[in-house]
Amino acid sequence: MGPQRHLVDKKLAKHADTTDIRRGVMRILYLSVLAAFIASAPGLGVSKASAEVKEVRVIMSGGGSAESVEVGYGKPFTEKTGVKVTIESPTNLGKLRAMVGSGNITASLIELTGPLLEQARAFDLIEPLDWDAIDPDPIFDEARQPDALGFQYYSMILVQNKDAKPVTSWQDFWNVKDFPGTRSLPDRAVYTLQIALLADGVEPENLFPLDIDRAFESLEKIKDHISVWWSTPAQAAQLLNDGEVEYTVAFSGRVTSLENTTYSFNQGLLGLSYFTVPRGADPAEKAMAMKLLHEMTVAKNQAVAAEIISYTGASTELEALLPQDRLGEYPTTSANKLVQSLADDKWFFENAELVERRWQEFKLGL
Amino acid sequence: MSNARKRRTSFVFVTPLLVSMILAFNVPLILMFALSFTNPGFTFEHYETLVAQPIYMKVLGNTIRIAVIATVVCAVIGYPLAYWISSLRPKHQVIMIAFVVIPFWVSILVRTYAWIVVLGNAGILNSFLVDIGLLEKPARFIYNELGVIIGTTNILLPFLVLPLYASMTKIDQRLIQAGESLGATKTQIFAKIFFPLTLPALGAGSLLVFMLTLGFFVTPAILGGGRVSMIANLLDILINSLPKWELASAVSIILLAATLGCFWIYRRLDTLRS
Repeated sequence: MGPQRHLVDKKLAKHADTTDIRRGVMRILYLSVLAAFIASAPGLGVSKASAEVKEVRVIMSGGGSAESVEVGYGKPFTEKTGVKVTIESPTNLGKLRAMVGSGNITASLIELTGPLLEQARAFDLIEPLDWDAIDPDPIFDEARQPDALGFQYYSMILVQNKDAKPVTSWQDFWNVKDFPGTRSLPDRAVYTLQIALLADGVEPENLFPLDIDRAFESLEKIKDHISVWWSTPAQAAQLLNDGEVEYTVAFSGRVTSLENTTYSFNQGLLGLSYFTVPRGADPAEKAMAMKLLHEMTVAKNQAVAAEIISYTGASTELEALLPQDRLGEYPTTSANKLVQSLADDKWFFENAELVERRWQEFKLGL
Repeated sequence: MSNARKRRTSFVFVTPLLVSMILAFNVPLILMFALSFTNPGFTFEHYETLVAQPIYMKVLGNTIRIAVIATVVCAVIGYPLAYWISSLRPKHQVIMIAFVVIPFWVSILVRTYAWIVVLGNAGILNSFLVDIGLLEKPARFIYNELGVIIGTTNILLPFLVLPLYASMTKIDQRLIQAGESLGATKTQIFAKIFFPLTLPALGAGSLLVFMLTLGFFVTPAILGGGRVSMIANLLDILINSLPKWELASAVSIILLAATLGCFWIYRRLDTLRS
């Protein structure tokens, strides 16, 4: 009994040893998993070293627009500095607010269109640019703002299938009797309200402040003839391509190169898109980003970008450098800029909530 | 190992998940709840806005209405489908269940766009119907409420078919035989034995479909043609364009409360079933 008992005790002791070791290993494993998890959680980990900037990260809209920035401005910038440009798409105000709110700034430049720029200012989400560092070539005045650089003009224009009867104004678009065919309008109050007023005979220079009631009255007349209210810019082009609609409104750069379509800049809604710096961006990366912004003011670079997508930069000397046979495609050439109107972004900012509420109410009645 | 230690060890294994759930889900949820009462001090104004501007609740109502329709359509299509599958030979059952499950592995975005190819103006179905002379001009299947319901039903059908199928194959055949031996007709057996036994699964599956439809975003955005207002799409505007996060939080809290209410019913039905 004695020796046997001893053996059992020994066995037990050994067993206890191994479980202790196993538990120790488990504990280490467990702790390291936990540590790895905590380190990887945003905002909790060790902050990245900012000594050497290897890339400038940019948040902007995708598609041809992103490609034009990459080739037109990113390439000469990288050649000069050796610093890479990384583009992330799409851009929106929610992303910017989340970045600034969490203190986890993942990009040093973010693209904002006019009305969003006003919102970003109101929420204090962007910081001033260093114009001395940008050292810009000559650009239009509206493109040079303390906290934003206008880098790209776009226009919301009338587009149609080639085979449909040509329309040249919003009045024609609203005239379903003389111009039969399926139609589409943007599911975006910012553009559609202006279009509705222009169609109702308001002169472009008298658009702002918008007469919201009149705009919705005008929309009531056309709403039954709109088969799709498009929600993303790519969708407008796709609807035309699919033969889903014959007349629509689209961003100029998305449609001027489409086959089987024609377009008109007449009464187009001109807009300017800006690059801004999120509040709290890494200073070293911001300094590098200023050099990228410089490239965006160079006429020669803008001409390269305009080859890729028919939007135009803000250089005052650009027109001569554009491909002369394609001048009609660009929103800011002297012939086109005259017939369009520039929106009052400030008004849209001040009335954003009201406009959105009315728009949702209108859509519920569709 | 003693039970207490076992419990402790298993707790250790659960903690990573627990910590990640708390950090990535619960904390943000509580923050969102707090946000819906801030501006920047404590306030009820966001909820007051929701009451004063009925548009938000109207969109929520519209969402619930569409979710109910999609659920009913799912049930009407899904029940006979599950019934039919469960009546097949076991080998064929596996094949049919695979047909139900395989679309699950295809991205929702791809499946939604596929409907454009099939049901669009120049789509397969419309071209066919116009070619054979059944229609004079293409019918509008998508870019409206019908399109959203078709797309949603297509995506959510498996959520209903799978639990129904499971409950149907589990039915004790002796109950049916007992009914038969007592002289019940086929209709009577279905109405008095089979259907009541599958009812909890039908209810639970339907609620699952209903709750998932409430939060659908991609399908209404693409197939709704902008004329179908659903809450997720309104939240997108409130979060990304305005960006009124406080109001968005308040809307989300109300949506969450509605969903939790549904979940509570779901649990009750689930207990009934088992």
